[in-house]
Formats: sequence, structure tokens, C-alpha cells
Amino acid sequence: MGIREDLVRIGEEMRAQLNEATTSQQLDQIRVSVLGKKGALTALLRGMGQIPAEERPAMGQIINEKREELTALLDEKQQELKQKEKEIRLQKEALDITEPRDVPEIGAVHPNQLVLREVLDCFTGLGFDVVEGPEIELDHYNFELLNLPKNHPARDAQDTFYVDDNMVLRTHTSPVQARTMLSRKPPIRIVCPGRVFRADEIDATHSPVFHQIEGLVIDENVTMGDLKGTLDAFAKKLYGADITTRFRPSFFPFTEPSAEVDLTCFNCRGKGCRMCKGTGYIEVLGCGMVNPKVLEMCGIDSTKYSGFAFGIGLERITMLRYGIQDMRLMYEGDLRFLRQFR
Amino acid sequence: MKVSLNWLKKYVPVELDNAAYESRMIMTGTGVEGMEDLGAELQNVVVGKVLTCEDHPNSDHLHICTVDVGEQEPLQIVCGAPNVKAGLLVPVAKVGAVLPGDFHIKKGKLRGVESFGMLCSSTEMGVPVELYPSVGDAGLLIFNEDYPVGTDVREIFGFNDTVVDFEILANRPDCLCVWGVARETAAALNAPLSLPEITVKECGEGSIHDYATVTVENQELCTRYAARVVKNVRIAPSPMWLRQYLHAAGMRSINNIVDITNFIMLETGHPMHAFDLSKVKGRKIVVRNSRENETLTTLDGKEYALTGQELMICDEQNPTGLAGIMGGEESEITEETKEILFECAAFDRTSTRLTARRLGIRTESSGRFERGVSPATVMEALERACQMVNELDAGDVVPGVIDIYPNPVKPAKLSVPVDYINRRTGVTVPGEEMKRILEKLCFEVELKDNVLHVTAPAFRQDIEQMADISEEVLRYAGYEHIPSTGLKGETTQGGLNEKTSRHFKLQDMLSGMGAYECMNYSFISRKVINQMGFDAADARNNPVCIRNPLGEDTACMRTTLLCGVFKTVSTNQRGGNEEGRIYELGSIYDGFARTEENLPVEHDTLAIAVWGGKEDFYSLRGMVEAIMKQLGVKARIEKGVENYMHPGRRAQFVAENGTVICQLGQVHPDTAEKFDMNDKTYVCELSVEALFECAEKLGHVSPIYRTPAVSRDLAFVMDDSVQLGPVMDEMMKACGDKLEEIRLFDVFRGVQVGEGKKSAAFNLMLRGKDQTLTEEEINAAVKKAIKAAEKFGAILRS
Repeated sequence: MGIREDLVRIGEEMRAQLNEATTSQQLDQIRVSVLGKKGALTALLRGMGQIPAEERPAMGQIINEKREELTALLDEKQQELKQKEKEIRLQKEALDITEPRDVPEIGAVHPNQLVLREVLDCFTGLGFDVVEGPEIELDHYNFELLNLPKNHPARDAQDTFYVDDNMVLRTHTSPVQARTMLSRKPPIRIVCPGRVFRADEIDATHSPVFHQIEGLVIDENVTMGDLKGTLDAFAKKLYGADITTRFRPSFFPFTEPSAEVDLTCFNCRGKGCRMCKGTGYIEVLGCGMVNPKVLEMCGIDSTKYSGFAFGIGLERITMLRYGIQDMRLMYEGDLRFLRQFR
Repeated sequence: MKVSLNWLKKYVPVELDNAAYESRMIMTGTGVEGMEDLGAELQNVVVGKVLTCEDHPNSDHLHICTVDVGEQEPLQIVCGAPNVKAGLLVPVAKVGAVLPGDFHIKKGKLRGVESFGMLCSSTEMGVPVELYPSVGDAGLLIFNEDYPVGTDVREIFGFNDTVVDFEILANRPDCLCVWGVARETAAALNAPLSLPEITVKECGEGSIHDYATVTVENQELCTRYAARVVKNVRIAPSPMWLRQYLHAAGMRSINNIVDITNFIMLETGHPMHAFDLSKVKGRKIVVRNSRENETLTTLDGKEYALTGQELMICDEQNPTGLAGIMGGEESEITEETKEILFECAAFDRTSTRLTARRLGIRTESSGRFERGVSPATVMEALERACQMVNELDAGDVVPGVIDIYPNPVKPAKLSVPVDYINRRTGVTVPGEEMKRILEKLCFEVELKDNVLHVTAPAFRQDIEQMADISEEVLRYAGYEHIPSTGLKGETTQGGLNEKTSRHFKLQDMLSGMGAYECMNYSFISRKVINQMGFDAADARNNPVCIRNPLGEDTACMRTTLLCGVFKTVSTNQRGGNEEGRIYELGSIYDGFARTEENLPVEHDTLAIAVWGGKEDFYSLRGMVEAIMKQLGVKARIEKGVENYMHPGRRAQFVAENGTVICQLGQVHPDTAEKFDMNDKTYVCELSVEALFECAEKLGHVSPIYRTPAVSRDLAFVMDDSVQLGPVMDEMMKACGDKLEEIRLFDVFRGVQVGEGKKSAAFNLMLRGKDQTLTEEEINAAVKKAIKAAEKFGAILRS
């Protein structure tokens, strides 16, 4: 038998084996049995010594060609098997995608704060600065500078908590406005969010602790129209483009003229419903042109500057917004309530 | 304030329907809280004449009557009232009638006799005795006047009326009366106003000075005191129309004289008082401050001890009444009263308010003086009262008045440029129109060179400055015409302040970690503070206290957020929320530290609580560490000191500068019990200010080294009491900058490592900054790390 015949036989045998092979191990065995140190093809190369010297180069070339051919075959088969094995593994790894597992929980801010963020977003966008001040406040800032001198009857209406004769739990965030007017020069555009206190017994719509957001603008030639424009922008941003404001005459010691502001009921969009008692409007905030006396007391020349102020009850708009019927829920902290505000 | 629409319509026509009238008034500043149709509950009840009245054959008390109600045939009605008899005029509820309590009258049969209606008592019709005299429940109401049969009884009782409940703004006490509302109504509807012309018929002889003298000692608190005397007083019931008006306003009719004083108060807003002059000692009225240790018995029979601060109405000897608040018992009007003195005065708002508050008396009169009664219109009201005496023939008005009014109030005079008003309101109103509006509101106005020269009416004490005039104009030019304009002028840069943006950051981080924000009141009680078990010297034991708290539970300002958070945890645990993460962000109030203005220092604080599920000390610590890491805060952990925490499971984070940033740990079982919590609750309280003070501002980022990292694992056995934190710190220090990170990946306790021992396995991540580490460098570093651990008695496991 010649080497050529042997090569053909080795090749055919290997092809047959490859056809049978189904695992990488089998493939490795085949590789060793043919190409390994003791393999059939290696044996042929070793036997080259017995071939006449002049034939050796040609013979060597044939064997090497065969080796390359068989190596390629093996590699190809190996790829094929790997692919198959991967497919099987992937099949085995299939998951029950419906099996329930732990879900990482994402918490939430207080509903008040959700609304506060929207409100501040609106006003900072209009060029308002957020300013805060102390919650325990001097009578001077909480009342006197706001045209509520000692023994003014409106102070009774405010149901003030007193710490001593000169110190109160602020009844509104207006003292922050007074402080700002004293420390800054116009133009002033600020919003003052914060906690305020009134001696109200706790029930579904009253709380001794609640939050306000007050706004103040002081500049030359500020009009009540500018106030309406600003509040219109606020109403539309928070509740939608179809919402309008309605101003009604009112009275506050720190503004003149003063207005109570109703918004189109955002439940029925003005058609009239239970929430707005059929009127199509909801009372939302109080506002007005800053009383010139307040400007003067706060060191601002009322002949040169005018301004407006408004005050929004955060709890009120939050309750309206989410249909919360009982204010106490907001101060109870029950997770079943808090989890609803995402 | 309740006003009868019939009464109002005497002075101004109201042609709109109720709803349109209400909305017009609201839009001009006079709020309407409600409207009540007085006759809504009494329908189809008419005057009937009992024609015949016979005993019922099958009853010992029923009667069979025939009653003429003005229809073709008289009605047969069975009636059980003892006072029914033929010839009487009585109220008849016909079939189909409605009585108060939604009681419908139907055809019926009583002991075999058909009955077509019901004869009514006053109680059945909701008519109080003082509105129409009757025997009440004991029998039928019997009409004494000769009303035509068939007349609707609502007309007789004044129930064909609507009572409007007006909400008067605090600056408009002048509107707290029929005349005030009539003035606003006339302006709002542009309707004619016709207030009565006041004339008093005096009886001809003598003078008031023969009957009484008045001295005002404190003219500061009594700015005006006017009096009139009426003799030959004829005390009698008031006429029906007067009783109707008082009833509609929610007042009881007493007798003609007392009713006149109440009528005047409702009509003009001036509280009045009538004295029985014969009971006023020395016929002398003295207005003075009380004397210490004086006492007073008021009309309602209560005795009050006086302090010397109250303004009193006195006779020659003793106080007889609290000025503007309540009269005295002694000089009360009785059936026998023959001579009276009418008082109409103006008392100081603040003094009235303080006295009423101090003595705990609040009357319609004190309420009005507190809100402000104009001295300027006192005489008008007094004269109107005397006119009523004439009209009701209740006595003879003695000639002359006493009027002590040393400092007459001057009406406010202002010059207001038309342009000022338009610039303020944003609504362009011509000067002429402004003049028309103001005149309608009883101002005197002269328009010259586009400036309004205005004199306010005497009753308008709220008009002080130009801005007030702009409001008057705007109210009637219409708030609905205010345009919506944008802000003009220099643009400003808006933005969050630091505190708010800090809160937003913390909230976002905590949301991401599954925590929910809760809010508690800012109050605390001493009892709850005691439950925290702070050391005796702890400042948190001494909160800022409220002088007038709602109750003990809310008497102080919180010195820690935890009391509130514990309450919230307890609420949740009891409510079945078995696991959870909550937090609160808010101020606590320092009981000692004061600001430059001497206000209590408010500390911005965060409290977190976690419980249930997989929560433990480490999960809470992880949350705090995550926040600190995110903010670039470097702090070491130390043993905690809070008594309300488990002594072996409490810690504090201390910043490099020594500031304590937070306390955290498991709640002490005793604390848990006191606050009704599960003791597997972990809490922390953190100073937001300290946290952000230590936060590293993002400046330059560090370079990223491209050299390969080498990972080595080391496991040691050591005493269980050894703290791993310091071991790792020491290893880190020993290796210098070659050790990038050290991580604990396993802790094991068990028989394999021996009693009281633990095995801890660390992963070291090493990296050369400029060059790849050589094998020798790596080994040297690892050796140093092992040496460092060995200092703690740790033995390397092979």
C-alpha cells in the first residue's frame, strides 16, 4: 500500500467518525487519533524516512496538504458542535418569565411635596427665587410689618400660637416677604414655601400645622393685571390650558385691593359638579396689591414701586388635586396612603 | 350677618332673582354664605273661620268642625284641640299642606269621621310665641286680628321672606346692618337708595337735663356718648312687622322698647341700650373704668369681678353695665318701666375686645364694637330710635339730647390721580366713571385735572389712603375686567434656595432606596420627651413651649423628629404594614440656642425608620452610607450614645472635623414598648446641615488608571469580638496607594473555626497608578495587608 492510499483511507475514516461525533470530547478524540503525536497522519510523516530522498519533498507536501484539509474539517465540525451545544444550553436556561420575584421598591415623596415641586417649578421658571425663613417668628415680622398692629382684631382670626409676647409660631409665610423686602432691592420676585401654624382643632379640613406658598413681586409699575397674568400662568401650568382664574373682591390687611381667586373646577372643567358645589369654580388662593403701608414699613418707596402678593394653601391644592377627603391622612404617614403617590 | 330681604327692599329695590343678586353681590365684595326661604317649610296653610264645632260622637276630646277657608264649601275637619270653638279665626292646613319637619297633610278619617285638613298650633307651624302670641302646644293658635279667610299664613308671620346670610369683610363693619347692605346693593345694582328721613317729635315740655346727667370720664375709650330720654313709656308687644323682622334676623321679640334697640342695631349697625331711668341711682350715668374689687351682675344674672381695666357704665354709685358688652340687671326694662334713657355710643374696639375676652362674654353688641362702630353716625341711630318710639307710640320723647363728642371724627379727604388708580388696577376706567362709582358709594367727589378730590362718607372708617380708593373703583368697575398681563421690567434669575434643593436631593435619594416621606406636626409633649429617656442634661429635654397650646400633646416644639416618626411607625405596624421604610424631613427647634434675633435655632433634620422584612441594623446603615457616599461625605462610624437605642446596636457617624452627622441603631425594647412599636425597628436621626457642610462639592474628577487591576482574596480567623471596620482600615493604610479597594465578602462563624471565633474573607483590589504592578510588588502589598490584620490577632487561613 502506498502513502497516497493511506492518506485517502485516513481521510475517509475520519470523515466517517466526524459524522458520528456529537460532542466536543469525541471531536478531541478524533483529533488526537489522526493529528495527535500518536495519530495516524503523524505516523505517516514519521514513516517518511523509508521513502527515497527524491520523493520526500513531494510526499511531504501531499501529507501536509492532507493535514490542512483534515484540520479544516475538524475546525468546521467543532464550530458546528459548539453552536449546537450553545443552543442546547440556552434552551435549558430558559426561565419562567412569569414567576413572581421580589421587586425593588422605589419610594415616594409626600403628596404635598409632589405638588410643591410643580408649583416651584412653575414660579422659578417665571424668574421667582425661592426664599425661606424661620418657623418660630418675631411678632414684628409676622404681624406688625404686615399692617397687623398689636390688638388688631384680624390677629384673633389668625388664631395665633404664642411663645411669648414677641414670639409666635408664624401664621403665614408672609414674614419671609417682609424680611426679603427689608434685605433686597427691587425688582423682587420671590416665592416663600413653608410650614405655618394656626390654633385650629384637628378635623378633616383643619390642621394646626399646614403649609403655604406665598409669592411677592415688587417692581415699578406692577399692576393687578400682572398679578392675574402670573396666576393664570400658574393655573394653566398646574391644571391645564383650559383653566382660568376668577378674581373676587376680598380683604387682607397686607394688600389693597385684595382678591380671592377661584380657578375653573379641575374636576368638571367648569361644568359644575359636587366638588365645586355646582359653581364651576373652586376657591384656591388669596392675593392683592401690596398695601403701600406695608411697603413703607418694609423700607420700600411706595411712590416709586408697587407690587403684588399671593398665598396658596399647599394642603388645599394637594387635597383638591388628588381628591383627598381628609387632611389627617397627610399627617398620619400610613404607607397604604403614601404608596399611592408615585 | 342675616338680613331679611323684605326689610332690605324697603330701602332699595332688588329686581334680580336670588341667584343673580347673590352673584352680583359676591362680585362686588359682599359675600353671600346662604339664602333661606322662610316659608319653604310651611305651605298651603291659610286663615280659616270655624263655623260650627260639635263634639265627636265616638270620642271624649275630639271635635267635628266646619271651617270656612274662603272656598265655595266649608271644610269638615276633626280637631282635638281643647280651645277650638265656633267663631274663631285659626290656621288651617288644607289637604296637600306641608308643615315643618316635612309633614304632609292628607285626607283622613278619625274614629269614623272624615277630616279634610288640620287646624294648627303655633308649634306645628314653627312659629315661636314671641313672633305670635299663643298657648303653644296646649292648643290652636288663634288669630286676634281680623284677617280675611283664605289668607296664606306666611304673609301674617312674615314667612314670605328670604333671609340672606351676608359674609361681611373685616374692613367693612359699616356693612353689618341693613342700611350698609342696602348701600352696597344700590351701588351693585345701580338702583336708587331711599333710606328713611329721620324726624323726631318731642313732647313739648321740659328738657333731658331735668331727667338725667351723663359724664364721660374716659374719653379715650368712649369717643362719643349720646342719650335721649323717653317718659310715659308704654311697654307693650311690638307690632307684627317689627316682630317679623327680628325673627328673620334670628332675634327674639321682647317688648316695644327692647325691640326698638335691637331693630336700630340691625338697621344702622349701632348697638343701643335702654335704661330704666328710675333705677339709675342719682339719675346719673358715668362712663368710667372699673375700680379694682368692684363687681357687676349682668342682665343674664352672672356676677363678674372687675380689675380696673374694664370700661363701665355706672350710676352715681355702682357699675350698672359693661360698656358696649352687656347691660346690668338693676336698670333692666320691665313691664313697670315708665322712664327710659336710650344710650347710643361709640366704644373703643380694642378695649371692648380685651374686656369681652377677659370676662369670656361675647354678645352681638361687643362683636360690633370690636369690629368698629363709627362715632360719626351715633346721633343718626339715636334719632332713628326716637322716631320709632313716635311711630310705635311707645312713650313721649323728652326734648333735647345729650351728646358728648369732644373730638369729632373728620371724614377722610384724599386727592387721587385717575392715573394712579388705573396703574394700580390695570383696568382703564375714565375719571368720570370713577366719580360716578364713588358717588354711588356716598363719597363726595370733585374731578379736576384728572385728579379725584374725594371725601369719604362718615361711616367709612376704612378709607385711609389712595390704595383704598383704587379698591372701591375696581370693585364696581369689575374685578372681571382685570386683564391678564405678563411681568414686565428687568428679568430675574429664579431658582431654588439651598435648603429646598437639599431637601429635593435627599428626597430623590431616599425614594430611590424605597423610602416614603411622611410628615408629623411640629409639636411634642413633655410626656413623650420623657419617654425618649434622654440624659438629664440633654438639651432636648427643654423644648420651646407654646403659651396657648391646643392641648398637652401639642404644647411644645419638637426637639427631635423621632417622637413623630415613632408614632408613624406604630401607626403602620398596627395598621398591618409589616415592613417599610419611612422618613421625615423637617425642622427641630433648639430649646437653648438662639439666633442673633433671639429666635430659637431651627435645625434642618432628617429621620429614617425601617422595620420588618429583611431590614436590620446594616440595611439602615447602608441607606445612610449611600447618602453620604453620594454627597461625598467622609465620616467614621463610632459606637452610639442614644439611650433610646439598643446598647449593642447603636452607632453614630462622625465627620472628619468631629461633627456628629447622625445617630442610628435599633430601638431599645423599652422605647419600642413605650411607643407601641415592634423592637425590630431601626431608626436614625441626621443633621441635614452637618451632612451638607461635610459634603464634598464636585470639583475636578480623578483620572481613571488604565493599568490592569489585580484581585487577591485573603481569609482570616480571629476573635468574634474584633471589629472588622478597623481591621480593614488598617489593611488599607498599610498597603498605601497600591490597594485601591478592600471588600469584605464573607463572614463565617461555626465549629470549623472554633468557639468565639469568626472567619472573615476579604477581596483586595490592587493597581499600580503609572505602571502595571509586578509580582513582587503585589506580594509585598499583600504581605503588608496580612501583617496589618495580624495586629488584631487575626490568623491567615491557608
